[in-house]
Amino acid sequence: MEDSATEAGQGGPALELRGVAKRYGPVTALSGVDLEVAPGEILGLLGRNGAGKTTLMSVVAGLLRPDAGRVRVLGRDPVREPREARRRLGLAPQELGVYPPLTVRQNLTFFAELAGLRGRAASRRVEEVAEPLGLTGLLDRRAGRLSGGEQRRVHTGMALVHRPALLLLDEPTAGVDVGTREQLLELVRAMAAGGTAICYSTHYLPEVETLGGSVAMLHDGRVVARGDVKELVRRSGDSGIELTFSGSPPQLALPWPVVRDGRVLRLTVEQPHLVVERVMGALGAAAGELTNLRIAQPSLESVFLRVTGRRYDSEGTDGTDGTDGGEGAR
Amino acid sequence: MSEGSWGRIVALVRQDLRLQLRDPAPLVVRTAMPLLLMGFMQPLFRTALRADRVAGATGAEQAVPGMAVMFTFFLVNLVGFAVFREHGWRTWDRLRAGPARPAELLAARVVVPLGVAVLQLAVVFLAGGLLYDLRISGSWPALVAVGAALALCVVMFGMALVSLCRTVNQLAVFANLAALLFAGLGGALTPLSALPDWARPLAPGMPSYWAMRGFNAVIIEGGGAAAVLLPVLVLLGFSAGFAAVTLVFFRSEDRKVAWS
Repeated sequence: MEDSATEAGQGGPALELRGVAKRYGPVTALSGVDLEVAPGEILGLLGRNGAGKTTLMSVVAGLLRPDAGRVRVLGRDPVREPREARRRLGLAPQELGVYPPLTVRQNLTFFAELAGLRGRAASRRVEEVAEPLGLTGLLDRRAGRLSGGEQRRVHTGMALVHRPALLLLDEPTAGVDVGTREQLLELVRAMAAGGTAICYSTHYLPEVETLGGSVAMLHDGRVVARGDVKELVRRSGDSGIELTFSGSPPQLALPWPVVRDGRVLRLTVEQPHLVVERVMGALGAAAGELTNLRIAQPSLESVFLRVTGRRYDSEGTDGTDGTDGGEGAR
Repeated sequence: MSEGSWGRIVALVRQDLRLQLRDPAPLVVRTAMPLLLMGFMQPLFRTALRADRVAGATGAEQAVPGMAVMFTFFLVNLVGFAVFREHGWRTWDRLRAGPARPAELLAARVVVPLGVAVLQLAVVFLAGGLLYDLRISGSWPALVAVGAALALCVVMFGMALVSLCRTVNQLAVFANLAALLFAGLGGALTPLSALPDWARPLAPGMPSYWAMRGFNAVIIEGGGAAAVLLPVLVLLGFSAGFAAVTLVFFRSEDRKVAWS
């Protein structure tokens, strides 16, 4: 079997989306999405719940048909050439999907065999995948008896055994311990260094910053920001002061842009630490209702705030989940 | 079908077999139950068959195939569960995103239940001979042909139900209802000649009727291949019909509720 990862370096993007749209009845899950991921690139896909991340992954994996636009996985259309496209990609969905009664080895071997590996070649590949995921000592344990983090690693490993050229990881670190998170991030870096294009959806901005690849921010089904993490932060990341009040925020007479968001006031200002005293002075009697003051440095969070007008909630619990978490795909 | 396709089907079948072997208790119980019930039913059937002028009848001639047919239809649950559990474990979408075609996923899900059905029938008939003195007066190959056609029919009926049911509870209810209806109307619970008048016109519409007719032709009437040709063909026709229902209604993207 030819490793599809080796095909990634043969020119052209590993993933290409042009004008992709998807609706669930009246709900727009994706709208006019254009995206390109190069071989070896790590693309952090960011967005709140319902932004369209899982729908995007499902469209790329061929689980959902887009209503409009085109998708190419190493030049193959997942709708018209599903097998050719799927052979080249690996998907680890957001929800854990393992066979609990079977051992880790059997789980991994099954997906290796589906990909065309047999006998010793399949066994070798299973061991190659197990090692960086810290699963070597668990290979003969039943998946159902493993901890959540260990199961997550098995779940991820099942997407890797055929060495895909494009790896789709949908919130791979959701609910895992710190150790597992580090192992997964390290694996992602190593695979990208080996030429695999990785589409990595997450709620956790620091993960994307740590991975240091590029980022695409999804908001209401649209890509609202796209670029290299550092470049994006430099270009669009604002610094400022965030003030949280117990009640309604007061009107402030200050020379900087102010955005009101519920009980929060955000001031966009360069070198915010130098103006804290002046801001506090401007609060007057309202200072008694101040419950929190935070100095925000330029970051992906401030980029998100700038491009969407809303603060990024790492838990993603805005209650508007219409498309992610798999619900919308049903 | 390409070589890769066969390889994937083999991988899927092996996986299904591993999962079945991890939890063999339901299969063992489903195979033991007809053997137990035969003991209760045999005296009743002996009287019925002798009243029907079947010379030297022991009752096993009706009890063994009757219970075999009824409990083979209970295997429909097994067929359905093989698909529904993939949804419960959330592995179905992983399979869909993999290289296997939907047709391969379905084809592979047929093989193990088919083997289990044939094995169950073999055990029930062999045990029927050893424990209840069943004597086959006709051709063994003809008996095997009826059993194989019945097994295929049951498995295809299971796949049709899978394609029509959204939840595993729906599947269980309809599978059990069908098993009892088929058994009652098809002559598995009483000799065909003793079916009530209202049931007689309905009986040929049941696959179990043709299975019982085929088994009776071999066991009681001493028939061979020619005697079971029609029952086997009708059972294969039912199988084709159920397969058509599956092909028309099965959607791999449909969500199934596994543990409701």
